[in-house]
Amino acid sequence: MLALPLILFVLVVFLWPVARFLALSVDNSDLSDNLTRTVASLDGWNPAQGLPGEDTFVALVDDLARARRAGRDGLVGQLINQRLVGTRFLVIKTAKDAAAGKFDQRPLREAVLAAYPGWSDVSLWRTIALQRSAYTDYYLLASLDLQRAPDGSIEKAPADKAVFLEILWRTVWISFVVTMICAVVALPLAQAIVSAPPVRSRILFALVLFPLWVSLLVRTVIWIIVLQKNGPINSALLAVGLTDHPLSLVYTRFSLYIAMVQVLLPMMVLSLVSVMRRIPASYMRAALSLGASWLTAWRRVQLPLVMPGLLSGAAIVFVFALGYYITPTLVGGPTDQMISSYIAFYTNKTLNWGMAAALSVQLLLILAASAILFWTAAALLRRSAATS
Amino acid sequence: MYIYAALLLAFMLGPLLIVVPMSLTSGTSLTFPTPGYSWRWFRELADDPRWLSSFVNSVLIASSVTLLSSVLGIPAAMALAWTKFPGKRVIYAIIAAPLVVPVVIVGVAAFSFFSALGMVGNKLSIILTHTALAVPVMLTTVMASLSNFDRTLVRAAASLGAGPLLIFFRVVLPLIAPGVVSGAIIAFIISFDEVVVASFLSTGEERTLPRMIFSGVRESISPAIASAAVLLVLFSAILLILIGWLQSRTSKSRAS
Repeated sequence: MLALPLILFVLVVFLWPVARFLALSVDNSDLSDNLTRTVASLDGWNPAQGLPGEDTFVALVDDLARARRAGRDGLVGQLINQRLVGTRFLVIKTAKDAAAGKFDQRPLREAVLAAYPGWSDVSLWRTIALQRSAYTDYYLLASLDLQRAPDGSIEKAPADKAVFLEILWRTVWISFVVTMICAVVALPLAQAIVSAPPVRSRILFALVLFPLWVSLLVRTVIWIIVLQKNGPINSALLAVGLTDHPLSLVYTRFSLYIAMVQVLLPMMVLSLVSVMRRIPASYMRAALSLGASWLTAWRRVQLPLVMPGLLSGAAIVFVFALGYYITPTLVGGPTDQMISSYIAFYTNKTLNWGMAAALSVQLLLILAASAILFWTAAALLRRSAATS
Repeated sequence: MYIYAALLLAFMLGPLLIVVPMSLTSGTSLTFPTPGYSWRWFRELADDPRWLSSFVNSVLIASSVTLLSSVLGIPAAMALAWTKFPGKRVIYAIIAAPLVVPVVIVGVAAFSFFSALGMVGNKLSIILTHTALAVPVMLTTVMASLSNFDRTLVRAAASLGAGPLLIFFRVVLPLIAPGVVSGAIIAFIISFDEVVVASFLSTGEERTLPRMIFSGVRESISPAIASAAVLLVLFSAILLILIGWLQSRTSKSRAS
């Protein structure tokens, strides 16, 4: 009962807005509602017949005039333009003239074509004919580099539009590399923290965890400052004589990895240390006393016991990295941007809600898939530990 | 092993330390080594009304978030820690959802939602969204301190005739206060440091401090940004010490 206000709050302020936004990835009502008559008149038309007839043009002028009066003409122009680049002003200008009653002589078809020859493009009519339903798979297909062919089958998108699979893959790859680096770097560090005498161990641990308290933004900004041309790293390299000119360290994949590892490493250490603290030191001592070298003992005795911590740390780092926005945006170069940056780009720069929502759906699917993967791996690990 | 740990710590903490002298530069650009030292860029921050108002905005928003997440989180923590009911795991999942969804999606969704309501550029929209992000942490912290709470005290107070509100403020709250304060500080930090939601929802006058830094970095990095970053690092360090002190106090009071 006492939890009710909080549950309602999260539902209204969080879950509802997110669900509503994700639904935009399949929403086509802005087009289907504003082009109802035109789309209906294109029923049975196919592109092979050439331009549609007079009744379709009458319906178009009627639809666009209504859209203009409702203040939706800009939106219709923008949405058609997303599907067929370069048609925005054609639609908006036609809508303006239609609402002003400029197309009053018959046949309308010739009047519109004379004023705006752009309407003689059959592919534009094909695009409009596809806007029948209030739902569309256009954005979700586009986010996978796919599109609908004229006959309705699914085909590969043309090369200039097929950028999204690469972005999805890049996001997964960067997260994977960051997770691997974190795992390799954190294992000895966590071991050092656990094996140190109590006071030193606590100080070390606190120092490693301190960056978690500094905002992500500040840590990212600091890397730009440190790695820039006149920054301390370049000054040091110049002073030592390793290079004779300042290196471009920032806005590269290298700087992105550095910054992301520094930001996410504490999480990995935290997860490893919490597992390692529960492993009795006597196990290692026993292995060593039986004649195993330190490395063999660590690999055969300690590592299998640490695996659950490694796995949960990797899951946390990987899942966090997948959704990273601030760090890639600020520290990465143009070819290092991850999926979140594109979600923000389609929202801020082009107001393409459908594309932003479709990419969000893909990101959430990747997140869910990796969560299931890690969860299965952990379950398998537990089972093999129980049976051995 | 210690050399390795020291090297890694230099990697983790070095950048946070090296900006301190850099922010104290007397020059007009960020260079290292610095040409000389002065407070000019910190004074610049204090004199620039945009930095000042963004700081005030951040404090106002973070304080409101702290208050709102306490009001929503503490009763919910009591309900979830003390009573058993079906569907509890579903409720956990709902409340924890904001921790799982990538923050860009949260930001864009909030932008879409609040612009439909005409509330973009309004502090309230940021406060509400930040509260959704802060409340799960608040809830966990308070629930952790409630798990050691002796519930016979509540029954004793009730048997002596105290009403639920009196019991909460005179019996429960004083005993879980350290957990509540830790949770409140963390909620404050979450909102104070948050930049993604703020970058979608705050415009012009309502800019928060992280939003100022974010847009500043995208244009050019002036020493003023380094100074703002140093102030935020110091701020985090102070709050961290505060939480550490609170926790040591609770463990001492438990021991006695």
